[in-house]
Amino acid sequence: MISLDRVSFGYDGPATLCDLTAQLAPGSFHFLTGPSGSGKTTLLKLLYLEHRPISGRIALFGADPARLDGGALTRMRRRIGVVFQDFRLLDHLSLRENVALPLRVAGEHLAARAGDVDELIQWVGLASRAGATPPELSAGEKQRAAIARAVVNHPDLIIADEPTGNVDPEMGSRILRLLTELNGLGKTVVVATHDLALIRAAKVAVEARVMRLAEGRLLQGAAAL
Amino acid sequence: MSRGWRALAPWSRATEPPIVPPSGWAAALGTLTALAMSYLAVLTLAAGIAADKLAASWRAELTAAATVQISAPREALDARIVAALAVLKNTPGVAGARRLSDAEHLILLEPWLGPGDWLADLPVPRLVELRLAQPGPDAAALQAALDRAAPGAVYNDNALWRGPLVRAAVALTRLAWFATALIALAAAGAVALAARATLAGNAEVVRVVRLIGGEDHFIEAAFVGRLARRAALGGTAGALLGAVSVALMPELAPGTALALSLGPDGAEWAALLMGVPAVAAAVAWVTARHSVRLMLRRIY
Repeated sequence: MISLDRVSFGYDGPATLCDLTAQLAPGSFHFLTGPSGSGKTTLLKLLYLEHRPISGRIALFGADPARLDGGALTRMRRRIGVVFQDFRLLDHLSLRENVALPLRVAGEHLAARAGDVDELIQWVGLASRAGATPPELSAGEKQRAAIARAVVNHPDLIIADEPTGNVDPEMGSRILRLLTELNGLGKTVVVATHDLALIRAAKVAVEARVMRLAEGRLLQGAAAL
Repeated sequence: MSRGWRALAPWSRATEPPIVPPSGWAAALGTLTALAMSYLAVLTLAAGIAADKLAASWRAELTAAATVQISAPREALDARIVAALAVLKNTPGVAGARRLSDAEHLILLEPWLGPGDWLADLPVPRLVELRLAQPGPDAAALQAALDRAAPGAVYNDNALWRGPLVRAAVALTRLAWFATALIALAAAGAVALAARATLAGNAEVVRVVRLIGGEDHFIEAAFVGRLARRAALGGTAGALLGAVSVALMPELAPGTALALSLGPDGAEWAALLMGVPAVAAAVAWVTARHSVRLMLRRIY
């Protein structure tokens, strides 16, 4: 269970997010939508622990991250897979090395997980591009590489920020299919998007809920699509 | 290993690429700073070693030797010298006394008067050279005995200029250590700046690694190890360059009685060549670690 209880956040000024309350059940699929500047990315940053709320409480997997020490916070982060809006792949590493990075930072022996990494790269359709670096990849390839990196560690929660924002409709459908497949495996998925077509397309494949943000406020909590 | 090959190679710790991008001006700056600082450190340490040896040499020579200068009318000169030698022979603290020959006196006079047999024409005082035991003689008691036996004989134990010379050499040694300490401080500051520049240039890498579950010690190790290795590399190169420069310094008064080997000896060379890069790496390690921790503390 993921819950937000009267959460507010601001960047050295007026609050960007005000008094948000919501609950996300394990294994659910959520779209977070709203106009540009409404606070979607900021809310995701709170969920994937890049920012702390200035007030209110977030609970992830039954624990309040604000109360965790460094080690426990790191372990909590490893349960979250993030597909960043701008991918945030490391340019000096190959696609394969980027995908394997969460395993490496978790201290796993890469030789033992090489098969998993290669299988994952194949799953996102990038087997022939495994040795390429991010500057050599197209936006769609980067997006799929970011998805592979987000899920390589088998996280319980997958957060994707505008995962179809930089790709053509066909690639967008492919990425949505990957995310719904992950949800089918029991992962909780939160996707920020302002692409209503994507949300409609998702309805066919998955029971998704929509959270609408406007001017830093959740309009209806978790509403049914 | 090329990127393409590495991408296909089986995973192993040895083939894992660095988390921190391998190049950048901050990297070169760190290495160059360590090189320059180590070079200066070797020079100042070598200067300190030389000053220390010079002080020890002056102290040993000046406390082991003295002179008695005898002035007397020409007809009484030999008798006074014999009397002074007799006093010196029985004085505790005097290991030996030798009258300088006429030829030695003329050599001493030559720089001022030029070549010639000046002893016959001028009332030149005569010198008796003493070898002193340790501790040396009681200067006041010896002078009193000389006054009684050989009026006009003056004992000179170099005290007037020995002290300032030795003090000057000791001060030089201390200055060299102080300069070395300043260089170490400057090196620490420069490495800290280079570390911060490296971190600032890789802030995104730090944030991403942290968000995907990297622990602080993992991030620390990625940066600190790299900065320390660069400092060790630059430090080694700087120490070697410094050693070559010191080795090429000319010897002091070669081929004369004043010839002194003031350069580092075997153990000192080893300490300089191993110690300076090790200290450079240690300084880099400590300052880089501190900088990384400060940065990590600032982000969630």
